[in-house]
Amino acid sequence: MKYIGNPKKVKNIESGLLYTVLIIISFVFIFPFLWMIFSSLKLNKDVLALPIHFFPRVWNWKSYYNVFFKFPDFNFPRYILNSFIVTFFAVLLCLFFSATSGYGFAKYKFRGNNVLFTIILSTIMISFSVIIVPLFILIRKLGMQNSYAGLIIPESLTAFGVFMMRQFFYSIPDDVIESARIDGANEYLIFSFISLPMAKTALLALLIFHAQWVWNLLIWPLIVISTPEMRTLPQGIALFKGGYNTPYPEQLAVSVIACLPLLILYMFLSKYFVQGIAMTGLKG
Amino acid sequence: MSPVENKSKQTGDIFILKDFKMRKASYSVTRIQRHGYVFILPTLIFFSVFLIYPIISAMKLSFFEWNLLGPKIFVGLKNYKKLIADTRVLNSYWRTLHFTVVSVIAINILAFTFAIMFSSTLVAFKNIWQSFIFLPVILSMVAVGVVWEYMYQTTGLITIIGRKLFGVTIRWLTDTHVAPYAMIIVYVWKTTGYYMVIYIAGLLDIPQSLYEAAKIDGAGFWGQLFYITIPSLVNTISLAVISCMIFTFGQFPIQYVITKGGPSRSTEILALLIFKQAFEFNKYGYGAVISVLFFLTLFFFAVIQLKIFNSSSRQG
Repeated sequence: MKYIGNPKKVKNIESGLLYTVLIIISFVFIFPFLWMIFSSLKLNKDVLALPIHFFPRVWNWKSYYNVFFKFPDFNFPRYILNSFIVTFFAVLLCLFFSATSGYGFAKYKFRGNNVLFTIILSTIMISFSVIIVPLFILIRKLGMQNSYAGLIIPESLTAFGVFMMRQFFYSIPDDVIESARIDGANEYLIFSFISLPMAKTALLALLIFHAQWVWNLLIWPLIVISTPEMRTLPQGIALFKGGYNTPYPEQLAVSVIACLPLLILYMFLSKYFVQGIAMTGLKG
Repeated sequence: MSPVENKSKQTGDIFILKDFKMRKASYSVTRIQRHGYVFILPTLIFFSVFLIYPIISAMKLSFFEWNLLGPKIFVGLKNYKKLIADTRVLNSYWRTLHFTVVSVIAINILAFTFAIMFSSTLVAFKNIWQSFIFLPVILSMVAVGVVWEYMYQTTGLITIIGRKLFGVTIRWLTDTHVAPYAMIIVYVWKTTGYYMVIYIAGLLDIPQSLYEAAKIDGAGFWGQLFYITIPSLVNTISLAVISCMIFTFGQFPIQYVITKGGPSRSTEILALLIFKQAFEFNKYGYGAVISVLFFLTLFFFAVIQLKIFNSSSRQG
């Protein structure tokens, strides 16, 4: 059975089959995004019209302009700004918490190290949706509802980050730190100027990983934010879509815009994207 | 420190000086180690206040009736009794489990298959193919929801393709039997690339020498898969499956954007139900009870995870 044909021929058939499957699969995975882009450039009446055309019959670039300036109830430039502000600070805080505590857990043998780390790690199983009710009550008590702080602080906490940075700092040899100590450097200088720069790759991976989560998060802004000018972009899109008579191309146009920052980030830093996922998901 | 002490006691006074030095050195070492507390303190405070305290307070809140403005009324187990009898909650719970189990199985099988495909030496330009499959992962979930809803419409792309190819008209978003699967398809499409990357990273860690040895022994593709690849990936697989379960169980945006829980609550998953109970109907205590149910389920998953890890590490 094995050697009926020429082995080379068998290999050709095999790889031909493999490529056919690959092309079909890739098509399935990228098509909805292409469909989003091309539909956003159609006229409103053409989006769901029959027969279906892949390319717009009339190229309607105006939807990208309209969505920003023609809907008085939806201030999308402001939503984009809000999303950038929240993502920037939430990611910055996340990096701070993860790097400092990851370093503390990895490089210091104090009493309770393992217990405290286990407690923090166990919050991985607290899905964000579980705590939204009590968290909202807390945020309200602290007077942070409808504010950037109310969005940023809860969105900056991730046990994944702590876990990832701890794993990374484990891999740094103690000798480097020890020799800096002998030279008289204090612990915080060693952290800031020796250990942290070594962790650049891990930090960048975490940055991208967390930015993606914060930028796309929907449920928390829906709860905390009550006035239109404080909305984030995903929240704005969800509410825009739920509104009456919102034209399809405009909805799709703003959806394309929401995907762009991460796509651009991915193009430049895809290496770290993949590393971040592999690091958080794998090295147990 | 203690072995040194014992030794000095046994050998007499000559070692007192040395002992003293050692003790002093180890003292300053523990002092250095205490800096660890400073490094973990900010994280500990913020995690306690914003993650751990809310879980405890959810449990407390579940015994009260409260609309956030009026007084908190202690009602004992009333919320729990209501929960057990509430068909809406039970429906939502089963819908969530169904969504989770089907999605997790589909995602992991697809992701694993893709990873195996990309490990084949026959495939060139792997990075390009992989980034195609990975693309949905970086798209915004809300944006994805918007475009898939159009494709599921009666004159939308998927419905038309289904009609042209198979001659059946599937009512993706209005049939209560189909709508849950419509949500699963979107979610699987969005997430598979993420787990594919995890599996690819896992495959790279398997030493090539194992495969070479297997080839010499005459193992074919399936033999290598079942006797080398899968056993070597047990940890990766269980980690991927469990974390996928936890993420999927808390899923919210797809259902919120596309169906809002309809048709007739067939896609009303737990996160959506909690959201509605608390923030649309102002029943915070009841929302908290559902959260507790939710939390206990995740806790159960985590216990299973620990069991799997312990047993697999004992074998290894």
